[in-house]
Amino acid sequence: MESLNPSQQPFPSSTTTSRSQTGPQEQSPTRPRLNLKSDSQPHASPEILAPTPRRHLLESSESQHWLRTPPLSPSSSRGVSPVSLFSSASLERRVRTTSYYSTRPSSASLRSLFDSDKAKELTGNGRKHEASEKQDVEMSMGRMWVRWMHKRNMKEWVAPALVAVSTLLKWCIGLGSYSGEATPPMFGDYEAQRHWMELTVHLHTSQWYTYDLEYWGLDYPPLTAYVSWICGKIGYWINPAWVALDASRGIETSESKVFMRATVLAWDLLIYVPALLMFVKTWQASRSNRTQNLSFLTLLFQPALLLIDFGHFQYNSVMLGLTILALNFFAQGQDVLGAVCFVLSLGFKQMSLYYAPAIGSYLLSKCIYLGPRAGWRLFVRLAIVTTASFVLLFLPFLPPFARFEAILQPIKRIFPFARGLFEDKVANFWCASNVVFKWKRWASTAVLVKLSTVFTLLAFLPGVFILIRTAIKTSVSATDPANDTSSSVSSTHSPTLPLLPYALLTSAMSFFLFSFQVHEKTILLPLLPLTLLLCGAPAGSAMFGWGVLVNNIAVFSMWPLLKRDGLGLQYIITVLLWNKLIGYDPRRLPSKSFVQLLSFAVYGAAGLLHLAEFIFPAPSRYPDIFSVLNVLISTPVFILAWLWSIKNGIEVGWALGGLGQVRKVTSTAPAPAPTGASLTEATVRRGVTRAASLGFSSGRRRAPTASSASSSGRPRTATNMGT
Amino acid sequence: MAERNTSTTSLKPASSPTVERDLKAVTAVPDHTSWWNLTTSEWHILFASTCLKMLLYPAYRSTDFEVHRNWLAITHSLPISEWYYDATSEWTLDYPPFFAYFEKVLSIPAYFIDPRIVDLKNLNYDAWSVVAYQRTTVIITELVLGAVLVRFIRNSVDTPSQRIISASLFLHPGFLIVDHIHFQYNGFMFGILLWSILMAREGRKLASGIIFAVLLNFKHIYMYLAPAYFVFLLRSFCISPSGQVQIKNFLSLANAVIAVFLLSLGPFVLLGQVPQLLSRLFPFTRGLNHAYWAPNFWALVTAADRVLLRYVTRTGANVAVNVAGVSSTSRGLVGDTVFAVVPTVLPIHTFAITIGFQTIILVKLWMNPTYKSFLTALTLCGYASFLFGWHVHEKAVLLVLVPLSLLAAERQAYFRTYILASVAGIFSLFPLIFTPAESVVKVIYSAIWLAFVYKSLSHQVYEFPKSLSYVFIDTFEKLYLLGFPILLVFVSLFPLNSAECQEPNSSANASRLEQMEFLPLMLTSVYCALGLVWGFCRLTFIYMKNESTYQGQLNRI
Repeated sequence: MESLNPSQQPFPSSTTTSRSQTGPQEQSPTRPRLNLKSDSQPHASPEILAPTPRRHLLESSESQHWLRTPPLSPSSSRGVSPVSLFSSASLERRVRTTSYYSTRPSSASLRSLFDSDKAKELTGNGRKHEASEKQDVEMSMGRMWVRWMHKRNMKEWVAPALVAVSTLLKWCIGLGSYSGEATPPMFGDYEAQRHWMELTVHLHTSQWYTYDLEYWGLDYPPLTAYVSWICGKIGYWINPAWVALDASRGIETSESKVFMRATVLAWDLLIYVPALLMFVKTWQASRSNRTQNLSFLTLLFQPALLLIDFGHFQYNSVMLGLTILALNFFAQGQDVLGAVCFVLSLGFKQMSLYYAPAIGSYLLSKCIYLGPRAGWRLFVRLAIVTTASFVLLFLPFLPPFARFEAILQPIKRIFPFARGLFEDKVANFWCASNVVFKWKRWASTAVLVKLSTVFTLLAFLPGVFILIRTAIKTSVSATDPANDTSSSVSSTHSPTLPLLPYALLTSAMSFFLFSFQVHEKTILLPLLPLTLLLCGAPAGSAMFGWGVLVNNIAVFSMWPLLKRDGLGLQYIITVLLWNKLIGYDPRRLPSKSFVQLLSFAVYGAAGLLHLAEFIFPAPSRYPDIFSVLNVLISTPVFILAWLWSIKNGIEVGWALGGLGQVRKVTSTAPAPAPTGASLTEATVRRGVTRAASLGFSSGRRRAPTASSASSSGRPRTATNMGT
Repeated sequence: MAERNTSTTSLKPASSPTVERDLKAVTAVPDHTSWWNLTTSEWHILFASTCLKMLLYPAYRSTDFEVHRNWLAITHSLPISEWYYDATSEWTLDYPPFFAYFEKVLSIPAYFIDPRIVDLKNLNYDAWSVVAYQRTTVIITELVLGAVLVRFIRNSVDTPSQRIISASLFLHPGFLIVDHIHFQYNGFMFGILLWSILMAREGRKLASGIIFAVLLNFKHIYMYLAPAYFVFLLRSFCISPSGQVQIKNFLSLANAVIAVFLLSLGPFVLLGQVPQLLSRLFPFTRGLNHAYWAPNFWALVTAADRVLLRYVTRTGANVAVNVAGVSSTSRGLVGDTVFAVVPTVLPIHTFAITIGFQTIILVKLWMNPTYKSFLTALTLCGYASFLFGWHVHEKAVLLVLVPLSLLAAERQAYFRTYILASVAGIFSLFPLIFTPAESVVKVIYSAIWLAFVYKSLSHQVYEFPKSLSYVFIDTFEKLYLLGFPILLVFVSLFPLNSAECQEPNSSANASRLEQMEFLPLMLTSVYCALGLVWGFCRLTFIYMKNESTYQGQLNRI
């Protein structure tokens, strides 16, 4: 593939072997095979072993043990990330090399399921897939560039160069107009943020949430106010006119614009970019340098955030960066630090609440995983630290410093239930269904608040449920009651960690779709976990397809907003650039898969809508027709993404904790055939007999070796290679 | 790709020639060099750079934008006989006829996009339509540059280096600053120049001469380079190596060039407007320095004059001081520069000095009329004109930087000259963009560009210093380059500083501040001039010394 070098040639990489599985006739006789076992077998059998070089297994087994990740082949820079572990396309390459599953009691069944999945794809269009893969290696702009940098001996320059280039790009986007430019008397989000600087610099904290609420009163939690205060102080130091109280309203000098843009960029560089870098280093620690670079690239150039923060003007990257930091600390096992970061994120923008169910249930699952004693200890610590951080954040509004009623004012401002069910046109459930069912006419605001709360609750429950359930299944006390209080466990993350991105996606998406008072910009919140998932997925996988599709459609759903802001050019360029950078092409997704067909349909519809909007003026009877159509195109995609996240969550949860009874199988004798009624059902439902046999046979073949490997703790493939 | 190749060849015990051939087949070029046959990475560079350039649509644009819009209007709405007479706008047409024809062509689609673009009376029109249209024409015409640079890669001796050089030229910060922010069509022009140079490399000297003649009729500033072309073509095309005059070649070249000029000037000859045209093209009424000094020799002289004047006024030395010069001095950079202490410089002096330097170089070129020698001489010709010419624009530094880039991967000495001149030259373009928002773009972009060029080329031209003097020179050059970030910080913080000074007692400080206002500009041009003059000395020395053992990519030509 991309970097076969001579030293690795004797060991056919997993990729090549899994490809040659389409038929025995594909095996080239010239290829040197050290794979004695498979060579000795008659070629009529479709099963081929894919040993990976031992060197790598030894190196990687340690770092990956927590992820339950199959070891990677060093020849390929695209492996399995913790988060993309269970996407079928990556499994297609990896599952052959697993040694882990055979040592885990519950995994024999799981693996045969994956095998069947994979075989379905392979029998269908293995050859096509191979060709397309080759292509995408050549086409992806970011990949080619990263490879060039590595070859030119500029490996360590990739990340700095990416930061520099993305900074340039962000600034260039900022050359354009911003929200509410030259639209007195209220202007837009830009003016709101600037106004908060002027407010916080000049007024006492007690007035922050009460001063002239009609004109962009502060309606974000205190951390935003503190950040505004810092920016305002700096602005005041440079030029007091920029933040003069009242006098500076609607100021639009080019210098003040530069200053405002610079503040966003500075906070982004201070929090978001380091958080991304840390994410790549912690969550993808087991992956190659190039893959990490590519993931970093994918995350840095995500168009939706670029457009909203640097075009439209907001400070979302601070909130998202703090959330990513929390995730990073969770992955490192520093739950308390992570919780503090998440509280900060909440304290910056209340939208972070969208993540709260997932984060909360993850922390809870960690407590459960640790068992009663260690778990309770962690729980208490988390509770104390979280409360303390909240108290610290709101300190200026609490009794010693303010009257007791003072705390109510920020709260009232932060949760504006008095505003409508939705504002403008937003691609969520309420707005989309409003086309046929006029919610506001049928129910009062109070009822709608309750209704939306119930809907949201129901929508994110699956994610929470899977997390907790998996934690119970994998709990230390459950597997090994004697080892309850081992301190070494509590310093690593819980095994439910791979579930966390899915849970975040489920919960953020359910809030976006069903909660009260949603803006179109809040799609950024579900996009974050999705992009985190996407960045490690190999190009052409279903995960990749979903991630990019939802990202693109998210930007598309914000088109009415961007158009109003005068960011049409930036919209086209950032989307095209990002897609080209990561080498996205819906034609190269798994052929005729659901996500590919969906992509074609949605892109077709979106393209037609843009074309129609460009050619025809909106009819006077329906002035909003284009935005409504936009909502109608985007909402189904978001709903599907929400369902997809639940489905994936279930799959990953299954992989981690196993299903109902499976865990009772002892480790010495893994099931030779798929165990559990549900699994058999699944294979039958898929209706691919050959696939079932593939899974079956591989399960049977592994049985003896697995037992030997599990006793010695040595990877099975090593045995296969005749050592 | 190369990696994959080695892996397959390593399987069979291949002899080294096979490997070499295979490698060539993979890394080098398809033989058919069609214009459209771009590799993936070339498409990517084109795509990414186009994205960036399009994001710069809303950026600051100078009066040159309105100049070109006005030319669109002139060529579209007036008959050809009035083109060089029209004075509706102060931005009269002062480029040669081919450029006028070019604007005429551009004005046709412009009329269909928005008729107000080509309305002669519609001065300072800056609607989104005209901005997008004119910016787009710059991007599209710059494809000429891209196409020629791709041709440079094909059939080059050292393909990987040439690829980097080509990319560095296509992405040159000079073009980004001058064309895509400030607004001009330099990418297009330099595309034609490089095309001509490419023809010289391929030995098609007649074509090279014709294309250069065409270029001269687009923009006459390329006359700076004409002496080198003249000598090169005369020596290598019209005279055989043994000294025989090739009458046939000479006549064909002469006729072709005359034909080009006839095509360009013909209509105006028939109309009898040539004197008017020439008076527009060569306005000799301007001063020695442009409004802001170009970083050339005269900037150093002017600065020396300032220092001397201060010295004279302080010590009262018995030196004749030109009174007009004193006031000119305090006025800083605007308009005519009259020296206070240093003898006044007339156009004829600058002309003589330029010709003097060029003669030395051209004699060398006459003796050694190879492509590589031509390229160096061409660079030096432009360099001499830039450093010693009368009323030079700072943008003319591109005339030095672009041909010099082609020599960058040649040898360590060339590479260092290239880096020095590029840094100084690009930095000297910075004051063109003075708005804070675009200043960030120019600085970050140039830094990224420099880092990439330096990192990717430096290791392959590295030579161990031959003697201690090399080490000293190297250290001083590094110190000089280190001065640029400091200068940048000073220049960008200076307005802040002066704004604060202004506050307490503005009336008292006013006169001092007025003087100080030009300090950043002055410092910039003087500091850049130092590097550029030193670069000229370096390059001349390298060229004249003519070490017989070239190690670079062009030694085989």
